[in-house]
Amino acid sequence: MAQSPESTPLRPIARRFHGCSKIDEYDIMSKLGEGTFGEVHKARQVRTGATVAMKKILMHNEKDGFPITALREIKLLKMLCHDNVLKLEEMAVERKKGAGRQRAILYMVTPYMDHDLSGLLDNPDVHFTEPQIKCYMLQLFKGLQYLHDNHILHRDMKAANLLINNRGRLQIADFGLARHYEEPVPRKGMGNGSAKRDYTQLVVTRWYRPPELLLSLRRYTPAIDMWGAGCVFGEMFKRKPILAGTSDLNQAHIIFELVGSPNDESMPGWRDLNGCEGVKQFPPNPNPKLTHVFRELGPYAISLLKALLTLDWRKRINAIDAIDHPYFKMEPKPMREEDIPRFADSHELDRRNTRGQRPLPPAPAGGAVGMPDWNGTGPPPTNGPWMNGDRRGGGPQDRGPPGVGPPPGGYNRGGSYDNRRGPYDHRGPPPPPPRHQHQPYRPDNRNQGLPYDDAPPRHALPHPPPEGRHPLPHPPPHNYAGPGIRGPPRHGDPGDRYVPRYDGSRDERDRHDRRSRESDDVRSRDGRRGSRDSGNSRDAQSMERGIPPSRDDRGAYRPPSRDDRAQGYRPPRDYGRDTKRSRTRSPDRERENQRERERVRDVYRR
Amino acid sequence: MAPTPTQSSQLVNPLATTAQLSSSGSQLDGVPADLEDSIRFAGASLTQVAGMLLRLPQEIIARAIILFTRFWVGPEGGSLIEYGTEIVSASSLYLIAKLSPYPKSPRQILTTYAYLSSLPMTLLTSSLFSSKVPESPDAYYLSEGTYLSQRVTLMKTESHILRVLGFDTHVALPYTLCVNYLQTLDVFQHPQASALAKRAFAHLNTSLLSPQLLYLTHQPPALATAAIYLAAREVGVKLPDNEWWEVFDTDREELGFLVVGLLSTEAFVKGEEERWGEGKGRGKAPMTVEAVEAEVERRRILEGGG
Repeated sequence: MAQSPESTPLRPIARRFHGCSKIDEYDIMSKLGEGTFGEVHKARQVRTGATVAMKKILMHNEKDGFPITALREIKLLKMLCHDNVLKLEEMAVERKKGAGRQRAILYMVTPYMDHDLSGLLDNPDVHFTEPQIKCYMLQLFKGLQYLHDNHILHRDMKAANLLINNRGRLQIADFGLARHYEEPVPRKGMGNGSAKRDYTQLVVTRWYRPPELLLSLRRYTPAIDMWGAGCVFGEMFKRKPILAGTSDLNQAHIIFELVGSPNDESMPGWRDLNGCEGVKQFPPNPNPKLTHVFRELGPYAISLLKALLTLDWRKRINAIDAIDHPYFKMEPKPMREEDIPRFADSHELDRRNTRGQRPLPPAPAGGAVGMPDWNGTGPPPTNGPWMNGDRRGGGPQDRGPPGVGPPPGGYNRGGSYDNRRGPYDHRGPPPPPPRHQHQPYRPDNRNQGLPYDDAPPRHALPHPPPEGRHPLPHPPPHNYAGPGIRGPPRHGDPGDRYVPRYDGSRDERDRHDRRSRESDDVRSRDGRRGSRDSGNSRDAQSMERGIPPSRDDRGAYRPPSRDDRAQGYRPPRDYGRDTKRSRTRSPDRERENQRERERVRDVYRR
Repeated sequence: MAPTPTQSSQLVNPLATTAQLSSSGSQLDGVPADLEDSIRFAGASLTQVAGMLLRLPQEIIARAIILFTRFWVGPEGGSLIEYGTEIVSASSLYLIAKLSPYPKSPRQILTTYAYLSSLPMTLLTSSLFSSKVPESPDAYYLSEGTYLSQRVTLMKTESHILRVLGFDTHVALPYTLCVNYLQTLDVFQHPQASALAKRAFAHLNTSLLSPQLLYLTHQPPALATAAIYLAAREVGVKLPDNEWWEVFDTDREELGFLVVGLLSTEAFVKGEEERWGEGKGRGKAPMTVEAVEAEVERRRILEGGG
């Protein structure tokens, strides 16, 4: 078999690699979503006929080689094997011929899951029964127990990261922010333990971020994932994120409104924390409204919810105990996976590619997470300075907006967006993403507080438009330049193809107004972002304040990626220069990134 | 729905298959097996020394060496005709360090390798740090242009390593296990305990360089057990009479094989020193694609002429 040295002696032969296939072994079927991290495609493996999801790893930042965040995610996923954790099947390589650069494009191949939870909750045709919710929650807890037991913190628990297939299986996905946890694992009946070392706070999408993170606890524990699970639990009943804060501070406030303010009893040690954006005082709240808000739930459900949404991270229930919670023993018993109805009938879902890689994370945490301004103590942001350079660029939201909750009305933005937003819009009417607390883009919005208070549950909403809703704010105006499809973005496109059935049409005008306001904000922010030194001033700012860069800072940083993403959505018929634009833009970002990176080089990572 | 037990995954290494051990990319490309062994050994030593110069912990160096070794194994593995040993070594170290708490910049890595390749000999053992320093810094100065082009190569090689390895960068090591086992065996009461532990670690380090690819054919528990067994004999610490290795998931046969493998490494290294050591044999082992090609060509001519 070995070639004899005489015959074509020193010519390397062609090889193929295991665990790493070529792109042409897959038939790419449709795009499921995209974000700055790249795109997710639905594909069929030619050899087996299996349907898979392929997540592209972008290699923007060639200076440092293969993105460390992707490496970490791959490494973690390769070690994990559990029914309730999304499996990494293999890596697929696409070699682009020519074009000067021979950079291979890499895809992570995972099994295809039909839905994500946030997409499902958004689909008015899908109704969760309590036994079904119990089944999903049990699976979620089992997945979390497995992760925590293996010393892994997920750090981006949210509905959009929970994938569900038509066989009733729930899997935890997106380990881009996950990391190894070096403390003892949670034990039965012992809460979540405590941590001895610092970890970065820049994790977890805001709406699912636990109070201790909001108050800047660095030594956090698996309890942070449990809080997220609690938010998801509530969300399954309310059909929208239950704690949709518009800023970190607002997030803290609505949490305390719901479950009570921190005091020495409910959250021992909270005084020693740095507080939320410098705010350390919160008005006492003698009447937490959790019980009222969730009054339609039975006592056991409320008890579990309270255990998950416990302020004291040491006492918050751990995954093992959650599985044993009486709630799951009570009638109605959890459904068996195989009994869960297929949601195949919701064609809309299918059409919209429920897998739901929705693009625009309204950046609460997303952006927040792991921005380069990680301040050096504690572990590195999972996605450190490489941030924009890799698929996590947009933050952890590859599975969709971190909890973009629809505003109570629902966008009726049909027309212009429809064509491009298709895949993502199952998430119901998006609220303007709560990005900047200093940006009161909807000061009068009734949705400021706990959204469920006055907003009807999602299923009560009118049928969502078949397409065209998306959780995004308006892309910056230049995106609209495109003729046709885009149309004038903000005001109810007369050409809307979809006329919602809902009587709530009174909301229409409001929504559009809000959106237009918002899009202005976006524009101005973009302008600001244009200045190169934004990165530095951000740093200076946070250093001055002596606190870790706060979300608003991060918010300021985000627009590039948002912008990017927005560009990414452009329908192909937009002129080519748009693509180019995003390309030329990236060097800037890269340079900025580079600077950041150099700054944190030594302390970077862990 | 029962959780699949995969707890041990962190302690287990992917091992080379029989098919992978029976052939290699280099051999398919016409590189003789003995030359391949030599070069792989030289590359592993180079990685070790570069890691030391970069002040990396041995843990990381060991991982890099194992990654480096895995790269060359099997018909799908890297070929010496395609990839230079030095750059693969550098990329392995860069990749592993990047994943570790001690990342090194491409410049640090490349400068270190430039320095090492300016040294006149291949086998860089501990004597390196005492004696052989190049006289003029010019010999290892890395110009900006060279740096930039080498960095591109470094990244490309990194990607290639990842692909060859199926993106599996996990490497489990026996060092901690070794300490655990020694504690379990209760030897730390013994006056020679410290010498024993050191000796066992030395064996573990040595086996990184073994031409038998011990880290690719045996799991960390077996390696740790064999190292302890051998070290205890050498140092003169008495271990339990019974078959204590069974407790550590190692059977007698595997233990025997590993001990022989560990012992034979010394002779192999001596042989390599004869061949490629400074002032002996033919000088530096071929560490670049061109040098390998030249060496293969030279042998072919020799054979043809002889």
